[in-house]
Amino acid sequence: MPNSNDIRDAYFDTILEEVRLNKDILVLSADMDAFSLRVLEKEFPSQYLNVGVSEQNMINVAAGLALSGKIVFCYSIAAFATMRCLEQIKVNICSMNLPVTIVGAGAGFSFGYDGPTHHGHQDLSSMRLLPEMRIIELSSNDLAVKAVEYSLGEKGPCYVRLDKGRFPNWSSQKVDFNKGYRILRPLQKNNIITNGFMSERVCCVADRLESTGQKYGVIDLFLVKPVTDAFINDVLIGSDLVISVEESCVIGGLGSLLADLICAEKIPCNLHKIGAPDRQFIEYGTREWFHEKYKIDEIGIYNYLESIPEELGKNSLT
Amino acid sequence: MDISKLQDKASYVRLSALENAVRAGKGHLGGTFSCVEILVMLYYGGFLKITPETANNPDRDYFFIGKGHACLAIYPILYELGFISYNRYMEYGTDGSTLGGQLDITVPGVECNTGSLGHALGLAAGVALASKLDKKKNRAVALLGDAECEEGSVWEAIIFSAEQRLGNLTCIIDRNRLSVTRIMDDSIIFSNFCKKIELFGWKCLVIDGHDLNAISDALEFSGVVSKPTMIVANTVKGKGVSFMENITKWHHQVPTETEVALAREELQRVSS
Repeated sequence: MPNSNDIRDAYFDTILEEVRLNKDILVLSADMDAFSLRVLEKEFPSQYLNVGVSEQNMINVAAGLALSGKIVFCYSIAAFATMRCLEQIKVNICSMNLPVTIVGAGAGFSFGYDGPTHHGHQDLSSMRLLPEMRIIELSSNDLAVKAVEYSLGEKGPCYVRLDKGRFPNWSSQKVDFNKGYRILRPLQKNNIITNGFMSERVCCVADRLESTGQKYGVIDLFLVKPVTDAFINDVLIGSDLVISVEESCVIGGLGSLLADLICAEKIPCNLHKIGAPDRQFIEYGTREWFHEKYKIDEIGIYNYLESIPEELGKNSLT
Repeated sequence: MDISKLQDKASYVRLSALENAVRAGKGHLGGTFSCVEILVMLYYGGFLKITPETANNPDRDYFFIGKGHACLAIYPILYELGFISYNRYMEYGTDGSTLGGQLDITVPGVECNTGSLGHALGLAAGVALASKLDKKKNRAVALLGDAECEEGSVWEAIIFSAEQRLGNLTCIIDRNRLSVTRIMDDSIIFSNFCKKIELFGWKCLVIDGHDLNAISDALEFSGVVSKPTMIVANTVKGKGVSFMENITKWHHQVPTETEVALAREELQRVSS
């Protein structure tokens, strides 16, 4: 486990270890920087390549490399790594089921000051559209390490929603990719499903609510696709109330995924979606400022949960 | 294989493409006919080192075709060389067919799924880079339509390939001067095209894309230079059938019974 708390370094330090062991692993970046990438470039120049500001070409080249037997990681800002080259990913990576992992940095509002071009609100939904894509969202440094092992262990395309900055280390929490989720606060009748950056925050909210006698389970659904039977059977079935908390657009992201599952499986539970509204944000501020404004900060989430009438968690659908 | 035999192959491919299009009632004959000699030289002229037995061998040459709608020219070649069976070959154009209007990787010998333009050169560049890293001798070849060069990703790949000095990469442009609806003249993209490409760091040749000797010489040349090579093959859309030549509607029009008879006669005359 790397010493740094920055989740990017936790992730790329792990890749560095894999690169050291396997000369067929290549890392491509579209003019991105990270401390570990610099080390990678210096120590393994033939296994790291900055392709420049050309995401479409990065994906196509990755496909060609993978067709030649290479295992490829492609790194760019989440919004560009997914939507700028969506068709290249669909046609050249997914339809040929190639071992390419796309790593998108900058989930949600993490590039808040850079405007809607840089906001990562549709990356999850666009990747969910691709049948062959596995999607992982990272909530802690230990999970970042496991995610590298997972994407290398299973052949085929993978999207990793990477964040930046300090993240917790929850090594004590068991990570089982066969289950695709982990329980951060014990399951209840009312359960909050979250992942990524929001996981730590939701735990704080759940702890506050518990101190007032309101019990919520907290589940980190880190494997967004494919959703496992274990998640459906052990978490969704049996819940009276499910609340999704995500730093994505509420259209197409985690909440939509839960709605799809509840509908498909005919699960009699109530669903509330908390996330970024369906809009492009032509305004500028820190991540915290955005979260406060759009009520996905700790207080906003707490107040929302407080406002849910007791009976809605039992019988009706909203 | 000598030139006259290669010419026979070209006639075989055109006639087969015509018959398949007519039988199925669909197909893109214009852009199929324009690239026949290029494909014949690649597959029968000894330039693509790939056989049914080596179709999955990592040391094979890789051929990526951007203009996959010209599949009518590929299928007869893959059938004759033993990549696909007669039964599968005859499936073209039927409901539930495993041989469609675009190429896909379920067809032995086909390296990528096609249908969207602008991807083939980047894919070929990735293969060329992998071969270079692994110090292998195989080559990557991409065939693009000229209108395909309007896609920005083609230019990203041109820049990348030059930057990486991919001498084992060859890009052939089927310069038939017509897109689905437009004339692709020598303005804008194709104005001083070779000069532009060479300024990017490629070698660039302009040839008659129906002259088998010229194609052979250009492919020979591309195998010995240290830079990526662009071959602009000047061709005629609809080549071989007089009433189809240089007419946009033959991009995807299927001939009537009378027209088929005429086309067949013209192609057979060349064949004999």
